[in-house]
Amino acid sequence: MSERNRLRSIGAIAMLNGFVPIRRQPLYLLNILAAPLSFLFFISIASQNALLAYAIGGGMILTMLSIGTSLQSDLTHYRQDLKFQDVLVASPVEAPVYVAGMALSELVYSTPGLLVFVFLWGAGGWANVESAFTLLGVLLLVWAFASALAFTLATYFEDVRESFIFSPLISIGLSVLPPVYYPITYIPEQFRFLAYLAPTTYAAILIHATVGGPVPSLSFGAVCWGVLIAFTAGLFLLAGFKARWRDP
Amino acid sequence: MEPALRAVHLSKRYPRAPPGVAALDDVSLDIPMGKIYGLIGRNGAGKTTFVRIGATQLLPSSGEFRVFGLDVRTDTQSIRRRVAAIPQESRPLYFLSVFELIYYYLKLRGHDRLEARRRTNDVLAELSLEPLKDQLVNRLSGGMRRRAMVAMVLASDAEILFLDEPTTGLDPLARREVWEAILRTVREKRTVLLTTHYLDEAEALSARLALLEEGHVRLEGTPEEIRERVGLPYRLTVQGPFQEEDLHPFGKVSRIEGGFLVFAREKEARELARQGLERGARISLAPVRLEDIFLQVVGRSIEEDAPLAEAA
Repeated sequence: MSERNRLRSIGAIAMLNGFVPIRRQPLYLLNILAAPLSFLFFISIASQNALLAYAIGGGMILTMLSIGTSLQSDLTHYRQDLKFQDVLVASPVEAPVYVAGMALSELVYSTPGLLVFVFLWGAGGWANVESAFTLLGVLLLVWAFASALAFTLATYFEDVRESFIFSPLISIGLSVLPPVYYPITYIPEQFRFLAYLAPTTYAAILIHATVGGPVPSLSFGAVCWGVLIAFTAGLFLLAGFKARWRDP
Repeated sequence: MEPALRAVHLSKRYPRAPPGVAALDDVSLDIPMGKIYGLIGRNGAGKTTFVRIGATQLLPSSGEFRVFGLDVRTDTQSIRRRVAAIPQESRPLYFLSVFELIYYYLKLRGHDRLEARRRTNDVLAELSLEPLKDQLVNRLSGGMRRRAMVAMVLASDAEILFLDEPTTGLDPLARREVWEAILRTVREKRTVLLTTHYLDEAEALSARLALLEEGHVRLEGTPEEIRERVGLPYRLTVQGPFQEEDLHPFGKVSRIEGGFLVFAREKEARELARQGLERGARISLAPVRLEDIFLQVVGRSIEEDAPLAEAA
């Protein structure tokens, strides 16, 4: 498949799984908005706005992670119930093209949510070029590793209900328990190492700095970027070697 | 002429199948270019496994499978450019219209917007789906949905189409609609590998057939060759003054409502027909149907499921 055809395929998948269903049923968008905005609401109320900046940064991360959980369900449903993956396997479409298109389609659903958070980020007076690049880079990496993880898992599930088991666990493990919605200093020092096991902790440290949170030192910032990039690359490798495009 | 598909000593054992149970066991088949080739057999006979290996959806355990001379293990991408498949029990993405289903499939395969649109409109017109083009597929009948899926692969530029039980669960009218769509491929000189457990379907559509049973090829050839190869190629229904024991010398006799069914060789069939006329019996003589052959070869009806092997 030529590069041009690959892009065409990615665009077609994004259209058929993103824009077309949204055009038919715009309420899908509210569904994706619900979780991060609820967190934003509760954390703002409970902290009397003290953690508003963390809630905005965390909301952005959760929005990108929720792409992964939606993707996982969609991919499992399409593979097991509709046999859509098999239709594509027997065609020029390659696995990375399929995943990229599907991940892009899920991004379409998340765009309104992200826009709300970007608006709040701008309204908070934190917007500048450096922060914008940091936000963009971190959110793209979270989107990429969430998608790679979703694809790998989805090719192993034999029923869409299995994905319902894993999605909340992944959400809790990557966005609720780690210090995504709150400062890492809230975790007792002896347990803080656990937080550093989650890649989203590093994403949150970088994003919190763009919404008025503490700015990490240059070297620790570099470590955060390094961990995120390495984790994303690792999940891509895992997807490349372990995801089942053709059945064994 | 090189066959479109060639399987040589092909075997498949699923990782989780019981030891010694193979979905395909030493299958060798040549499937000619430009024809509809039918794979028939009971559920679990190995048809889907064969199709999935050919469509590069499943790896074989041993043996060789070539598509246009290309190895399914190593030349996967080259093969995938030239094939299209409708898997067993597949369903269209329910939120798409019939037009969108076909159009986006073509875009996915790399066709540009204009070409995809042209091909979609052509296939909709040819399969009389034009009035339904804006209908959501989840509002269509089962037959129409399958027809839309067949239209989807027909609209592609694939040279080989793998259709795995494309009419299962459809009513007779809907099946005919899908048949018409499949027969279109003959005019285009494309190769179709069709699996079915409807023997009338296999006979109506296929230029050649293979009968699979428990992972083995039991018969292969044109429908006529297969008929000739079975021991008793004629079926006679006999209503009238004959007793069952009168008919035994002519062939294999079974009792049916209102009379007897006799499978016989040509000489005995002619003799029975002659005697029947003399004795005032109502006799109809016809070549055996594929269903009868299946019963003769396998010893069971095609409606019975085979023991589990196709565990994927």
